[in-house]
Amino acid sequence: MKEELQEALREALESGKARAAVVFTERDGELVPRLVTSPDDPALDSIYEGDRRYPTASFAMMVLPLIDGKLALPVRECDRRMLVELDKYNQVDPDRLLLVGVPCSQEVADACGCAHPSPPEEITVVGPLAEPAEASPLPEAVAEDPAERLAFWMDSFSKCIRCMGCRNICPMCFCEECALDDPDLVGADSKPPEIPIFHLIRAFDMADRCIDCGMCESICPAEIPLRQLYRLARASVKDAFGYEPGLDAGELSPLGELGTPADLGGMDEGFRSG
Amino acid sequence: MDETLEKTEGGEKRGSAPEDVKILAFLCNWCSYAGADLAGVSRLQYPPNVVDIRVMCTGTISPYYVLKAFQEGIDGVLIAGCHIGDCHYDKGNYMTAKRFRVLKDILAAAGIDPRRIRLEWVSAAEGAKFQDVITSFTEQVRAAGPSPLAPKRGK
Repeated sequence: MKEELQEALREALESGKARAAVVFTERDGELVPRLVTSPDDPALDSIYEGDRRYPTASFAMMVLPLIDGKLALPVRECDRRMLVELDKYNQVDPDRLLLVGVPCSQEVADACGCAHPSPPEEITVVGPLAEPAEASPLPEAVAEDPAERLAFWMDSFSKCIRCMGCRNICPMCFCEECALDDPDLVGADSKPPEIPIFHLIRAFDMADRCIDCGMCESICPAEIPLRQLYRLARASVKDAFGYEPGLDAGELSPLGELGTPADLGGMDEGFRSG
Repeated sequence: MDETLEKTEGGEKRGSAPEDVKILAFLCNWCSYAGADLAGVSRLQYPPNVVDIRVMCTGTISPYYVLKAFQEGIDGVLIAGCHIGDCHYDKGNYMTAKRFRVLKDILAAAGIDPRRIRLEWVSAAEGAKFQDVITSFTEQVRAAGPSPLAPKRGK
């Protein structure tokens, strides 16, 4: 796989299909992305081969304005779906990306509970494909009883130290102004955030964007089950509008378009309960 | 909030008792606020537990506002706007309907009782409907009880 990826990136640079390529290397135990412009760059020989992940889509968003022409980018399937979604918000230009699909190993796919571990055939793919894994179930503590559910989430959220890791690692969190920086909404930033609003704001914004990569949850030092929370939000959008982020490049989020009365998710008569 | 309720004190004992539920109502300027006005000039009685916020269109109501209301301990949130097709801005209430659909699920997933939120379409001619909505919603929120996120009453 490593050789195939090297070959694909070298070929892209040599043929001039791409102006630059992103290469991940390891330094002091950290994954470091490098931008290479020559097929002879020694960084290409020390390409990282392993299971660790990086917010590649964020890096692409940062690099694209700095270069001319195309960028050759090794992507996992989750990175690719993020780029599909970012294109809908005009954050990346897909025509300037030359994607090289790096399939996840079956081990990683299973550990992530990933429903889409393999890149599609349209892009160059290096290495063997993995089978979709079964999604991990919701934590048992999220019970039928609303009071218990609230207690579970409040207990999780109360550990939050407002490190902003979930927002900062998330490629879908590209807004220049963020509601989570607003002291009127979530409290002064010298303190732990107000809960549950801090996490529910993010849950709402993730509902039609999150592609379920799980990086937020893996980076959270307080081990808040964020991915589960966003899964519940995504489930609502899928249930109401049949929309899943990242799958279809031609389909925009129902929450971003006015649509027709038929698209209102059953709310055209309002909502009463109880 | 107590203060606001006291200011609206009318003939009967307005300003609900401290232990009674408090409800925040977002009303659209063109329909539901006028509907509330019609209920008022028609002297239709409804429970005094509601504090209104007039907005130009329900489409301007960020879900963050609703979350903020619950964060501050409100017991129920009502959003009322023009019927679908009657929006002064053509399709502003489409956005309300869609966002509400997702918001109610997120609140339910987090363990906030869906009985605490309601979306209604009330036109400027529906004073009686406004009365019904406020009466039944107040009953419904009372059944759900005080919000679990509310600070302890009587502070």
